[in-house]
Amino acid sequence: MDCLKESADPHLKGWLGKGSYMGMGIGWVVIATVLAIAGGVVGAMSLRTERPSPVAFIWMTLAFGAQLMALAWRGGLRGQCPLGDVGEICLFLAGPLTFFYLVTGTTYRVSLLGVFTAPLVILLQLIALIPGFFEKNVISADSVDAWREAHTSLSVLSYGALALAAVAGVMFFILNYRLKSHKFGGGLVHGMPSISRLVKAMARIAVVGWVILTAGIIAGLLMPEGNFSLHLMVATITWVLYAVLLGVYFVRGLPGRQLAIGLTVLFVLSLVVFAKL
Amino acid sequence: MKLVCLGLNHETAPVEVREQFALSDGALDRETEGLISSKDILEGVVLSTCNRTEYYAVVNGSSGVVELENWICEQREYHGSREGVFYHHEARDAAEHLCRVASGMNSMVLGETEIFGQVKKAYQRSLEGGATKSVLNKLFQRAFGVGKKVRTHTAIQEGATSVAGASVELAEKVFGRLNGSSVMVIGAGEMSRKTARALQSRGASSVMVTNRSFDKAVDLAEEIGARAVPFSGWEEELAHLDVVIAATGAPHFVVKPQHVEAVRRKRKYRPLIMVDIAVPRDIDPKVGEIEEVYLYDIDTLQEMADQARKRREEQLRLCEEIIREEIEKASLPAVNE
Repeated sequence: MDCLKESADPHLKGWLGKGSYMGMGIGWVVIATVLAIAGGVVGAMSLRTERPSPVAFIWMTLAFGAQLMALAWRGGLRGQCPLGDVGEICLFLAGPLTFFYLVTGTTYRVSLLGVFTAPLVILLQLIALIPGFFEKNVISADSVDAWREAHTSLSVLSYGALALAAVAGVMFFILNYRLKSHKFGGGLVHGMPSISRLVKAMARIAVVGWVILTAGIIAGLLMPEGNFSLHLMVATITWVLYAVLLGVYFVRGLPGRQLAIGLTVLFVLSLVVFAKL
Repeated sequence: MKLVCLGLNHETAPVEVREQFALSDGALDRETEGLISSKDILEGVVLSTCNRTEYYAVVNGSSGVVELENWICEQREYHGSREGVFYHHEARDAAEHLCRVASGMNSMVLGETEIFGQVKKAYQRSLEGGATKSVLNKLFQRAFGVGKKVRTHTAIQEGATSVAGASVELAEKVFGRLNGSSVMVIGAGEMSRKTARALQSRGASSVMVTNRSFDKAVDLAEEIGARAVPFSGWEEELAHLDVVIAATGAPHFVVKPQHVEAVRRKRKYRPLIMVDIAVPRDIDPKVGEIEEVYLYDIDTLQEMADQARKRREEQLRLCEEIIREEIEKASLPAVNE
């Protein structure tokens, strides 16, 4: 059993005062949200000029920096992986989502993907900022179980990648619809990657997410409790469904639209189920 | 000292006149040499493309375009009517005209990029031949800068303005780069040739031509460096293709949904772009309902090309502003003085 004690960062908390320390942490979330809004707005404006803007990428990089600071604040409070309340889960999901956008952005000419990623990141962070979603009186863990920490962080990290695959799927729907219905006007079609690239991006990012999810589930099975909880069972079902979808795509082949539907539905569905648990 | 520009182009002279003034590379050097050998001409650049021949010269005080025009017609042994054939510009007008030419604003296809290289080459030859000095050196350098600025700050060169170009643009929207993509052309007419060429110029490596008359398919295939396929065998090839261009004279649909349905599994549901530039149409519109097929007919392509042309025309005012500002800013002898 974990031994519990007061916040793991008593020195800084003492220096700033409890209220200031909390305010500073919330401040990082606010900054991250403002920067993501800037990234989204610049990205959307670049659609009008029909030239994807590298500035959107810079704003999102800065937003990621602020997210890390916010996560460090919550991690410092908890003395373990910050996944103890709704605010932390939203923040932990927004972080990897931004991270995978930054990692894959240049490869898939998806500074434009920022236009699609930013709203999701903003939404998650705004949810996190709802009063009460960040617990004020956090009890810090005295010792942590490595497998549990690995399980939770890897699982959430995988969801960042799977969320980005779903975002790429949404981009595919839009581009596919515009190309099939011969609606070529506006910067949206011009600024997007090609259909082939989007299909490859969806599949590759989903594979990355699936591999990380695999590691997360293995870590979960190695937790000292050893029991196959409902939570872990849902994660495993999700893992199987993604495996089937990706397996069918790579082995038999799948039209891009069906892959996009699969990735988007699976992500939303698993998110809803986890939220209910 | 005065800057003059005298020339003729596709807007002022028919092809039979233009060809009399067109100059090969060797003749261009001799022409430039002859131009500056006149005591009244201090510097000169001669530009000759399929659509225009232009002379840029720095002339002494009283000499002007009339003397230059006489000299050119004499050199080319042109005795036809000169009325409306030549245009001329002086000082600032000449400088602005050069900028328009270098920017593709004066080209037959508005915003085309090839002209920039042709102007650069003409200037380079004159420079190497010692025919340019301070005035034309500064002017041409400025014009190149303006040309680049016009292209980067406006949308003058964006969008395809031909049916073949629009086909390539759509194929790139589906596949990204066309490097390594496989193309089949059904029909061996002029439109097939143009579209296949346009796709090849963007990297399509494997091009096949099929036609009811196999001889014609072979002829076109040889001309464009493609492979001829018997008409009876095109359906088998469909499994390996990325782009299909249909342009036959058939009165009925040549490509039907069942042709694509039969190879979908084998293709692993990869995207397939089908361009139907035939009238009556060659590809059944129902083919476009198949998920991974992107089907476009001649009307769609024509509309795309028209819209691109319109967009380019809308950019002209912006381009003119850039040119005016840049020439204003530059301190060019014989232009701003």
